Amino acid sequence: MEARLAHHFRAIETQRQAERLGMWLFLATEVLLFAGLFCGYTLYRFLYPDTFHLASGHLDVGLGTVNTVVLISSSLTVALAHHFARQGRSRLAGALLFVSVLAGLAFLGIKAVEYGHKFEEGLLPGRYFHNEELGGAPGASMFFTLYFLTTGLHAFHVMIGMGVLTWIGARAWRGEFHENHTMPVELSGLYWHLVDLVWIFLYPLLYLV
Amino acid sequence: MHGPRRYVFVWIALLALTGTTYGMSKVDLGGHWNLVVALAIAAAKASLVVLFFMHLWDAKGTNRLVFIVSIFFVLLLIAGVVGDMATRFPLARPPEATGLQGGVEPGPGRDPMHGSQNERVR
Repeated sequence: MEARLAHHFRAIETQRQAERLGMWLFLATEVLLFAGLFCGYTLYRFLYPDTFHLASGHLDVGLGTVNTVVLISSSLTVALAHHFARQGRSRLAGALLFVSVLAGLAFLGIKAVEYGHKFEEGLLPGRYFHNEELGGAPGASMFFTLYFLTTGLHAFHVMIGMGVLTWIGARAWRGEFHENHTMPVELSGLYWHLVDLVWIFLYPLLYLV
Repeated sequence: MHGPRRYVFVWIALLALTGTTYGMSKVDLGGHWNLVVALAIAAAKASLVVLFFMHLWDAKGTNRLVFIVSIFFVLLLIAGVVGDMATRFPLARPPEATGLQGGVEPGPGRDPMHGSQNERVR
């Protein structure tokens, strides 16, 4: 399938620019969606800095760091997939996208293990919080409310990203993309990189400080 | 430098920065410096992803503008909320908040730690 020029665009380059702009506008709304949660985090961290420091110590930094590496590496394979799609090596691009999906699966698996630990220790949001060690500290349950909201919304985005990359990966594997037709690979890649971008900020804010 | 080599270099830089931020979290820098350093490293990593993986380095002005404006509004939102909470008089804050001691001087009769009204609240 060739990238067709819609009649309301003068040139294919104008059309591509419009397609990219549309994706960036969508990504801006995603940034603002997460901004609400980041804002809540900032506010409660500002109110309860000592508790947030203590509560952060109850997260598994090792697993968080491994997940950061997994997600950064999956961004690399997505970027490489776009590069090879532009060179007409569609099948290789598809394989790289499938590798990214597997990385996303690994990320979710590690996240599930982490969630399991939190459930066992009673480090749960709001009124379900029943951890004895942190019990008395004001704001402790709020830390875990924010932890589950931010990582949960992020994990939801990982799942959507995996779905999109599987779809585009399958099309690439069938050899659909070539020098003049790579836009689906590029735009789905942008979405995946945004998911990575959100995690880049969640990782230090939740696990490190 | 273009193509796969550029991406691999960016990836190595991202891994190095991840290692750095992990290492720095083990060192107590005092005050809020741990947070500042962690956020600075996160911003550097985010810039690498946005500029090279997401191609804003080579992009046209409008796409850059959209992203920069969205980041600007995120910062505006956070600055507004924190500025509000930081400049409230103490009784309007959650009673057990520890992060505001040494903030705005409490007025007479409003001190949450000593005011008789506040004893009843707690």
